[in-house]
Amino acid sequence: MAGEVTLVDLVKTFGDVTAVDGINLEMPSGEFFSMLGPSGCGKTTTLRMIAGFEQPTDGRILLDGNDMAYTPPHKRNVNTVFQSYALFPHLNVTDNVAFGLRRQKVGKHEIRERVAETLELVQLTGFEKRKPAQMSGGQQQRVALARALVLKPAVLLLDEPLGALDAKLRKALQLELKALQQQVGITFIYVTHDQEEALTMSDRIAVMADGRVEQVAPPQEVYEEPSTVFVADFLGVSNLMDAEAVGGANICRLQVGDFELDATRGKTDARGSVRVTIRPERVHLEPQESTGQNRIPGMVERLVYLGNSVQVIVHLAVGATIQALVQNVGTEIPWKQGTAVQAHLPPDALRVLEDTGAALAPLDEGAVPA
Amino acid sequence: MTRIRGWLANPWGRPRFLVLITWGYIAWSIVPVLIAIQFAFNSSRSRTIWSGFSMRWFTWDPSDSVKNDPDLRHALGQSFKLAGADVLIAVPIGVLLALGLARWRGRGAGTSNFIMLFPLVTPEIVMGVSLLLVFTHIFTFIHTGTFAQVLGHITFSISYVVVIVRGRLFSIGRQYEEAAADLGASPAVALYRVLLPLLTPAIVAGAAITFAISIDDFVISQWLSSGGGTVTVPMLIYDATRAAPLPSINAIATIMVLVTLLTVLVGFLAYRYFTRGERAAGGGMVGDMAAFDI
Ligand SMILES: Nc1ncnc2c1ncn2[C@@H]1O[C@H](COP(=O)(O)OP(=O)(O)OP(=O)(O)O)[C@@H](O)[C@H]1O
Ligand SMILES: [Mg+2]
Repeated sequence: MAGEVTLVDLVKTFGDVTAVDGINLEMPSGEFFSMLGPSGCGKTTTLRMIAGFEQPTDGRILLDGNDMAYTPPHKRNVNTVFQSYALFPHLNVTDNVAFGLRRQKVGKHEIRERVAETLELVQLTGFEKRKPAQMSGGQQQRVALARALVLKPAVLLLDEPLGALDAKLRKALQLELKALQQQVGITFIYVTHDQEEALTMSDRIAVMADGRVEQVAPPQEVYEEPSTVFVADFLGVSNLMDAEAVGGANICRLQVGDFELDATRGKTDARGSVRVTIRPERVHLEPQESTGQNRIPGMVERLVYLGNSVQVIVHLAVGATIQALVQNVGTEIPWKQGTAVQAHLPPDALRVLEDTGAALAPLDEGAVPA
Repeated sequence: MTRIRGWLANPWGRPRFLVLITWGYIAWSIVPVLIAIQFAFNSSRSRTIWSGFSMRWFTWDPSDSVKNDPDLRHALGQSFKLAGADVLIAVPIGVLLALGLARWRGRGAGTSNFIMLFPLVTPEIVMGVSLLLVFTHIFTFIHTGTFAQVLGHITFSISYVVVIVRGRLFSIGRQYEEAAADLGASPAVALYRVLLPLLTPAIVAGAAITFAISIDDFVISQWLSSGGGTVTVPMLIYDATRAAPLPSINAIATIMVLVTLLTVLVGFLAYRYFTRGERAAGGGMVGDMAAFDI
């Protein structure tokens, strides 16, 4: 089945702004592939190059092995769902959806059939005669989807297609979109800056920063095993600590302030100044008196009740502040603001990260970790 | 008394004073026109003393009605001829220029966008003289007369079309063209199937304004006329008023006022008709015109 997209050393500059800075990606046929990253990291630009609206400054774009960097957009077997939908305001739903088929000189009868079929697929039967302005945001979004899907493209590009919708509708459409993709089986390249959206829907995610790809992996891996500081931070893990890697290969010996920690995850062969992270749910808080390896004393700064768990913010003696997530099992938790504790950071939960230098998002104080 | 005191106490309340000024202005500007129109229907030859309603100066006066006076009839024909030719030529050229200017990125684009506004701010008299000089000294094969008048009208009305269409182009953005290309439309098909329909309101508005400007024009028509058959209605009114005017002049002026009003009304209604449903999104005609940048 067709629909394999490969980006090779793709670069795009606008004057002295480098929007895309050497991207290499392989998106196999039929995959739900997401590009996730903060505003301005080059997601849209990359997508627009695949669609053909921008010419790459350098590099290649392959569709099923054929270089199409210089094929005009109307000759690419790729369709786009625009963030603003860009539905033709002067045409009704049927004519919007039939627009592409008419360009392909498909017969009248077949057009009618395929339009009806696709409208059924996106659950818009009965809206045929409406103009875009007479529909809600969610309905317009479906028309945009139908308009692209009806052409049976090899690849569908979606630029934050749910960005304009409210949270509840977005949730519902996420599931629908995912189901739809599995049903039609074409490659989806999905751009979003919403990490939860990317995690729920994708087969694989490319996390981007400053025009570069930081990590490409399935959702669980990106979330559980972020490979760079940026990825860890962007996916809402703010438990970052500065450390000095002083030895070891499989087990990395870290010096954090006056304390020594062992870490067995991530880039354990790193040396020198590194950053380490730990998921809040893996931080064990113990009474002040407990002793042993991988423990750092600290003081409870704040408690945030989250319902099924309690977020405990601990200020460590080494200066860093970390979050611990304590399950709410009905019994009262023994920590209060100002309690001295030992934070136990198990070696198999500590991850040594590669620092690519990508600028981190400003810290969202007290944010609920994902 | 209490009103004045109330106003002094709270000048930012209902702006009665402003309302008064507005109505005063409207009366001031419209009353003379209404009086002129009234005497178009006078049954006597006087333009100052009312002696009863009649259609005499429009239709039935055997020598001096608009219908029967060859000069008047001819001037009316000439005015419509110029305005019609102006619309037919200036609008397509203006649309193409607007497309070029709005979609032209890179060096020189800003400058030419700015220069496009020149005819709008150049005094008409300067424009008329310049054109006359050009036609009599450089392009000497163009003689004064209808052809020169049409050229003159086109020259200054193109700018209006460009400004209106370009404003609309900026306010609709590039998204629809890109969507059309994405769905397999070549640039020509995208232009024909998507861009032109979306530009229709601006094109209609541009045509209406061009027509209204051309039919009203005096200065350029005058400079480039060769007398006789090239006299337009405004020129005729100007000349007649200085001689011994008859109510038939009022009649022909009334026709002009009605035609202009009708054109603008048709343009406005067409604009509203073609942009129905998208009004919430855009700022209407004025918004579209204000949306262009230089
Ligand atoms: N036409 C352009 N001219 C100049 N700079 C541009 C242009 N398009 C994009 N850029 C710049 O390139 C960078 C990447 O932009 P892009 O639109 O790809 O970001 P994005 O990842 O899609 O962000 P968002 O999530 O906000 O949509 C930005 O710094 C942007 O300012
Ligand atoms: Mg974007």
